[in-house]
Amino acid sequence: MLLIRCPYCELELPELEFAYAGEAHIARPADPAGLSDEEWRDFLFIRSNPKGVHFERWRHVNGCARFFNAVRETVGDKFLATYRAGEPRPDVATLKGDAK
Amino acid sequence: MTIATPSGVTVAELPPTTRISLRIADPAAAGLALPTAIGARSAEGARTALCLGPDEWLIEAPEADRAAVLATVAGIAAPHSAVEVSDREITYALEGPAVLDLLATGCPRDLARMPVGSGARTVFDTAQVVLTRETQVRFHLTVWRSFAPHVRALLDIAGRELAADLDRNWLHG
Amino acid sequence: MTRYRLPNRGRVDHARPVRFTFDGKSYTGLAGDTLASALLANGVHLMGRSFKYHRPRGPVSTGSDEPNALVGARRGPGRFEPNTRATIQELREGLEATSQNRWPSLAFDIGSVNDHLGSLFSAGFYYKTFMWPRAFWDRVYEPVIRNAAGLGVSPTEPDADTYASRFAHTDVLIVGAGPAGLAAALAAGRSGTAVMLVDENAEPGGALLSEPSVVIDGKPAWDWLATTVAELNALPNVTVMTRTTAIGYYHQNLVGLCQRLTDHLAAPPAGAPRERLWKVRAREVVLAQGALEKPLVFDGNDRPGVMLAGAAQTYLNRYGVRVGDRPAVVTAHDSAWHIAFDLAESGTRPAVIVDVRDTVDPALTDRAHALGIETLLGRTVTGTSGRLRVKSLRVNRMENGAVGAARDIACDAVLMCGGWTPCLHLFSHTQGKIDWDAGIQAYIPGATTEAVRIAGAGRGLWGIAAALEDGAAAGALAARDAGREAEAQPHTVTADRTGSGVTLTELPTDRNPAAAKAFIDFQNDVTAKDIRLAVREGMRSIEHVKRYTTNGMATDQGKMSNVNGLMIAADALGKRAPQVGLTTFRPPYTPTTFGAFAGYRQGATFEAMRKTPIDPWAEAHGAVFEPVALWRRARYFPKPGEDMHAAVARECRATRASLGIFDASTLGKIEVVGPDAVTFLERMYTNPWAKLGVGRCRYGLLLGEDGFIRDDGVIGRLAPDRFHVTTTTGGAARVLNMMEDYLQTEWPDLQVWLTSTTEQWATVALQGPNARKLLEPFVEGLDISAGAFPHMAVAECTVSGLPARLFRVSFTGELGFEVNVPARHGRALWERLWEAGRPYDITPYGTEAMHVMRAEKGYIIVGQDTDGTLTPDDAGLGWAIGKAKPDFVGKRSLTRPDMVAKGRKQLVGLLTDDPSVVLQEGAQIVADPTQPIPMTMLGHVTSAYRSDALGRSIAMAVVADGRARDGETLHVPMPEGVIAVKVVKSTAFHDPENARLSA
Ligand SMILES: [Zn+2]
Repeated sequence: MLLIRCPYCELELPELEFAYAGEAHIARPADPAGLSDEEWRDFLFIRSNPKGVHFERWRHVNGCARFFNAVRETVGDKFLATYRAGEPRPDVATLKGDAK
Repeated sequence: MTIATPSGVTVAELPPTTRISLRIADPAAAGLALPTAIGARSAEGARTALCLGPDEWLIEAPEADRAAVLATVAGIAAPHSAVEVSDREITYALEGPAVLDLLATGCPRDLARMPVGSGARTVFDTAQVVLTRETQVRFHLTVWRSFAPHVRALLDIAGRELAADLDRNWLHG
Repeated sequence: MTRYRLPNRGRVDHARPVRFTFDGKSYTGLAGDTLASALLANGVHLMGRSFKYHRPRGPVSTGSDEPNALVGARRGPGRFEPNTRATIQELREGLEATSQNRWPSLAFDIGSVNDHLGSLFSAGFYYKTFMWPRAFWDRVYEPVIRNAAGLGVSPTEPDADTYASRFAHTDVLIVGAGPAGLAAALAAGRSGTAVMLVDENAEPGGALLSEPSVVIDGKPAWDWLATTVAELNALPNVTVMTRTTAIGYYHQNLVGLCQRLTDHLAAPPAGAPRERLWKVRAREVVLAQGALEKPLVFDGNDRPGVMLAGAAQTYLNRYGVRVGDRPAVVTAHDSAWHIAFDLAESGTRPAVIVDVRDTVDPALTDRAHALGIETLLGRTVTGTSGRLRVKSLRVNRMENGAVGAARDIACDAVLMCGGWTPCLHLFSHTQGKIDWDAGIQAYIPGATTEAVRIAGAGRGLWGIAAALEDGAAAGALAARDAGREAEAQPHTVTADRTGSGVTLTELPTDRNPAAAKAFIDFQNDVTAKDIRLAVREGMRSIEHVKRYTTNGMATDQGKMSNVNGLMIAADALGKRAPQVGLTTFRPPYTPTTFGAFAGYRQGATFEAMRKTPIDPWAEAHGAVFEPVALWRRARYFPKPGEDMHAAVARECRATRASLGIFDASTLGKIEVVGPDAVTFLERMYTNPWAKLGVGRCRYGLLLGEDGFIRDDGVIGRLAPDRFHVTTTTGGAARVLNMMEDYLQTEWPDLQVWLTSTTEQWATVALQGPNARKLLEPFVEGLDISAGAFPHMAVAECTVSGLPARLFRVSFTGELGFEVNVPARHGRALWERLWEAGRPYDITPYGTEAMHVMRAEKGYIIVGQDTDGTLTPDDAGLGWAIGKAKPDFVGKRSLTRPDMVAKGRKQLVGLLTDDPSVVLQEGAQIVADPTQPIPMTMLGHVTSAYRSDALGRSIAMAVVADGRARDGETLHVPMPEGVIAVKVVKSTAFHDPENARLSA
């Protein structure tokens, strides 16, 4: 059970309060009708699934109820950072260790 | 560490109260002196407002104040949502020197660090709950109505466990 | 006084005898004993049989590394635990213990014939032997193997005990309360930081409990221990927990602890759980678990009476038990010499000290000779004799690397020491790096991945002084990292017993090594030659050797066997140990009961059972319930003598003829409020909402972005900016989560908020031609006549004096209303309507009748008639799509090529040729039942019922190109025969013109 820092509550809290919500920074296209079938397929189904640094979404569902973004290193299963929805991706080079 | 005693904790269901879930983007626009830090609670007489999320407050008031409170939130001019949830949930008062031990049977949060007068939405076992710390040794646990019997059963089991006072058997070797 | 108990020795209470039984025979031990020490005090070494060869075995150790002495422990009905280690089970009055893995008796066991067929059971035996014929697996091999092998027998009764769990948060968690852990706890505890000190033994002390002769800070070890424990217990910030095993070390310093609460008590208090699982989150962890003693690997090293030298020391000093009259000591490490000295001084002079090394510290040999103990250096051990107890030891000279002449030495116990290995299990759970220390020839912890320190023998530091110093330093550093000022306190130690040794493979022998039974893993009966065979047969990775031989896979988790197995595998591979590497240790550290993991989740609290406010009425009126998500819902209300079919037929008939009443409270409800509420619903649901008037409802269909149906429900508009959205019972939380996701992350600019009101309202559905007649007198402030309050109307009003939201909706096809009142009043409203409905033969109906009546109308149930692969068009719901809407969730997917391709499965009706046959839900549908198997399956039945209204069975199904098959005959092959069915493209079987619900 991980500890996750909620960027809204600004507390490090037990994973039991959170729910994973898939890869981050995949915005719904503004005009889906304008997309080709291939582009829409990629939006729907194609995900990066990296071994290493992953940008992903979590929801503090048993807490402030906010969706937010996180950077997690998937080999050691460690959070590098969490940040609010809508904020840009942090620069991975500047991140190390737990999100504290 | 506090040693639980047979009289270490009591669990009591509180009578119904008026609860309103108030949602508003800019709390200042509500004109209600809403606290803005998640977990913070303000009080005005018997009315309290607990900040549960960046745009979410749980307003509580005695039943006698129901109409007045509803009128107050209805009078907010700025875009908002006010939904009465008085019957959605049940509140238990948990009190006694072993109250942190009791809550630790189901809640993963470090509640020793929760300041008196604050609160949070969290989990107890598998149920989502709202906890407020009323005094150093008194918490209110609010849970959706249909989950309340489950939570109550677990609290009663844990209460008996604390009353069995097993801790004396291990605490000092 | 039992024969092998020394008076006034040990930490047992000589004044408190404790009676117990083993295999039905009564014995007496002392308070403070374990089952193993009590049996040994009675001269009983034989406590079990091994897993594969059924060889007689006695205890080898005193702790959780014990592989042999596994017993069944019983405390009355429902309280039986197999595979309990006799070395861990504390003695209590009335304990009933039984040996296992033997028949008919422990001393005479038929299964031990396996021992003489040993060559059949070599490494990889199962893989090689039972390959064919395939059919033999189920009927011959497996039953025989299951019967012959295996450990204890699983209990057959439900567990009568209860279990507990607890979360805890601390600054410093210290695992192991030996000298290193105690010193760490003192250093950290004195700083004021929160400390938890846990130990799996019944009392703290660790190695000190076995080494009373050492002097710490000027005090005898046990006085120092008592003072230290008293100080720790007096510190309010320190918690000392014994009988508590750290079983797993997880991310971010989460450590799982299993605490044994009552197994040691003769009469546990009422309400007391047996065990408690702790989930401890620590800022800093100190692992002070010490080191594990390794056996020596030689032929016959498993006979009862052969044990670890350190175990004999613990039995002597902690329990006051001599493990024999004439023990022999065999060692590769100095530590066993001290044990021989302790034994000699207590009156049991060892027959001999055999050391495999050519030279040892002369102080050791001098001391041995002064005590009259023969010493043999540079020797090897090549065998033992004795059937149920060791009788002699065979010792050979080593001359220039060759095994020389043998000599038999009579003995009744063999105390062996193959050196010590740091206990790396918990550290290994963290995926910390493990390094080989060539100096001490042992694996030690390397780079860490967590905020953890390892102190004392756990990182290869031998001796009490080193452990205290290292522990104090680790405790102080942990406290500092937790934000306190802390100092490592100094300790002075005299009469310490440090020492060194060598790490070996199996001992050389002059006999045929292929015939040697030189055990590495005692419990799984893995011998040195099994490891070498595995390497010969091509295993190169230590992980493969482990799985091929099962070395280290027994319930002791390789505590005793892993390093010996590795050394031999490395030797066979011609590599050095660090090139081969250790296998990974995984949680739990010791076998842990399912009960501990289940915690409070057993019986009535297994999981939340959600009940509606009306549930008690249903229960009082004999409802049969069914689970729907976490809810329990009334399925039907049988009258005396009625089965389900009869009850459901009656409930449907009464509803369609006059009036039914139904508890719809479990339906999900979401209040959508704000100036952008319409915009939000336009984007979420397929349907158009902008023109829906206040006071009107509409059926809403929700898709995933992939275009497949996710949920549905009626949505009512209460005000321009306020909607009452209903969802399926099971979909409520999922739908709210999905809506929040879009709202928060895709459209954060929308001014709209979502609030779950599922439990704010109790919902009573009145359905049937007399619904209005019943309801009308209860309603205030609203005209509910057909003209004023038509089908799909909604209003806020007063019903029976209660604030209500009234919907005119129907899921049965009859005239219907759904009355929502605040939940606390739900039952009262129901009872008032029930009383008033008697003139109309008001009939409560359950979910089963609801399902039948909706199927008669062809209404789908999401999740039953859809399975996550149906589009609106597939389900015949194309009409629910707002064609003019530019976008909604899932719209773009509906035009993907495979979503509009021919051959998609479509929801249709099926009518069996024989109207009395009810199809099975889930049954497959084919065109030609005579085609060869595997047949081409066209689809499957999703719903099937006996319909009272139609006087025949009806079914819904998804069938490839289903609507184009209108009128076609298809077939449903079933075990009892093929059922012919006719496809009907419309699922509206009953009142297709909807005349009834518009009444
Ligand atoms: Zn939060």
